[in-house]
Amino acid sequence: MNKRKLASFIIVILSILVLIIELMPIFVVITSGFKRDIDIWARGPFYFKPTLASYKSVLSNKDFLVSLKNSLLVASLSTFVSIIIGSMASYGITRYSSKAKEFIAYSFLVFRMIPQISLVIPLFVMFTTLNLKDTLTGVTIAHVSFNLPYVIWLLLPFFAAIPKDYEEAARIDGASESGVFWKIFLPLVAPGLVVAAIFAFLMSWNEFLYALILSSVNARTAPVAVNGLLGQYAPKWGQLSAAGTIMLIPVFIITLTLQRYIIKGLAAGGIKG
Amino acid sequence: MRFSKQADTDIKSRGASRPFWLFVFPALIVVLTVLVYPMFYAIYMSGYEWNLFNQTGRKFLLFGNYVRLFKDSEFLHSLWLQLGFIIIALPIETVIGFFVALLLNREGKFFSVVRSLLLLPVFILPVISGLTWRMMLQPEYGMISFILEKLGFGVKAWLAEPKFAYGMVIVQDVWRMWPFMFMFIYAGLSGLPKESLEAAQIDGAGFWTKVFKIIIPYLRPTIATAFLLRLIDALRIFSEVYVMTGGGPGNATLLLSLYINKQAFEFFSIGYAATMGVFLLIIALAIAFFVVRGNIQFEGERG
Repeated sequence: MNKRKLASFIIVILSILVLIIELMPIFVVITSGFKRDIDIWARGPFYFKPTLASYKSVLSNKDFLVSLKNSLLVASLSTFVSIIIGSMASYGITRYSSKAKEFIAYSFLVFRMIPQISLVIPLFVMFTTLNLKDTLTGVTIAHVSFNLPYVIWLLLPFFAAIPKDYEEAARIDGASESGVFWKIFLPLVAPGLVVAAIFAFLMSWNEFLYALILSSVNARTAPVAVNGLLGQYAPKWGQLSAAGTIMLIPVFIITLTLQRYIIKGLAAGGIKG
Repeated sequence: MRFSKQADTDIKSRGASRPFWLFVFPALIVVLTVLVYPMFYAIYMSGYEWNLFNQTGRKFLLFGNYVRLFKDSEFLHSLWLQLGFIIIALPIETVIGFFVALLLNREGKFFSVVRSLLLLPVFILPVISGLTWRMMLQPEYGMISFILEKLGFGVKAWLAEPKFAYGMVIVQDVWRMWPFMFMFIYAGLSGLPKESLEAAQIDGAGFWTKVFKIIIPYLRPTIATAFLLRLIDALRIFSEVYVMTGGGPGNATLLLSLYINKQAFEFFSIGYAATMGVFLLIIALAIAFFVVRGNIQFEGERG
């Protein structure tokens, strides 16, 4: 083997090593989902005789199924609202002028980075007064608060990239201001809308703190329910891993298919809550 | 951030800025009600000694809570843990991300698959990440505890050892987030002109010379942006640690957000908790301002 071949061999080995170490915990969750709780406690980490017992318990656990449904609803709703309102704002900021524009744009963007713990305390008191605690509406509103600035931020370059000619051609044809937005611009930024929607969905899907504090029984989302499987006495690791794996499925599909947009999404201001 | 230099002519040509307000209005309402109002409400709350279950009995303290902040040894302890967490975790994440980016900056299907797979941990639910590490650290049956035992460290409830628990919280974060740095640095690296590296090669520059003289200077803005984004996230970390250790043992991993949560929803001193929230908010907003200022360009192709 000559020197160059040896070098590229070492590089491949190193890459595989990095990958194995990095994916180990994910491998642990996925395999533990196919174990029974009791086997995890009793037989050490390397005993593996796959069974669907944990999946069966989780999928017949009504509380978990409800929480999964809540998560889906909250994520879809908060994404939808953020996309509609956010795309309008993003369009307004990139395409029109106003004296307050700079200030407003900055504020929207900076708000993306507010620590959730700072907001959840006033929100808790406000929601108590407004009877929004432990409602899906309440959790959705809380999720819009971080998704909206994010969507605005992510869409700015998409709107900015559209040539002015399109707009002018439409105006000459007599389109109104809102017609230009809905009929010309929205279809043109469709790829951006898809990316923004998927990231917003993901952030809401992954969110824990707001859901933990602002919901208790009715509006509990899946991350809170999964944490609940830790239980008071003996953690149900098998079920917990099965539930976790179910929740990871959309995350993995999105991450692996949206590759090329990920940098853009990450750059638009962190990804977690 | 770039703004059109012809702003004046724009306004004239469009008549007024009315459409701007029409389009921004709904977002403005939402932001005012769910972000700005709560922020001011938090500031208002921070002026009171305010118990969650005794709202009428609250006492106005003016800046009393802020004074208490710096006498509260538990708060200072949290602040210290938070600082340590950031100072240890972020540089490690950056360094690993940097070298793996160099390692994987190659053409070919194999490397592109490795790069995609490495991103998975970044997007994992923080709760699942924290719980998985907790599971792996369970005595006897956890994967990591098992390996540690075989290596002769004995059987221990690892998360019950204060120093070790703190270390593992950091390891968990490094595991999850170095690929975030990696992605940024890799993206920056692919824009590096090949000629400059080749020229250095011809001059006989070694690996480290190339790294320090060409690659790092070229990537500095990229790394700075990624680092600041990570800084904000690291500052407000909550979920992973909450499910992994709950802040314990004792208060060994009680990072800032966890302590605020504890004051608010275990001790019910929401006035004081709001004060700490405002403190954290100010730091986060200051950093956020730098990020936004350095990185945003928006201007339609107009005028």
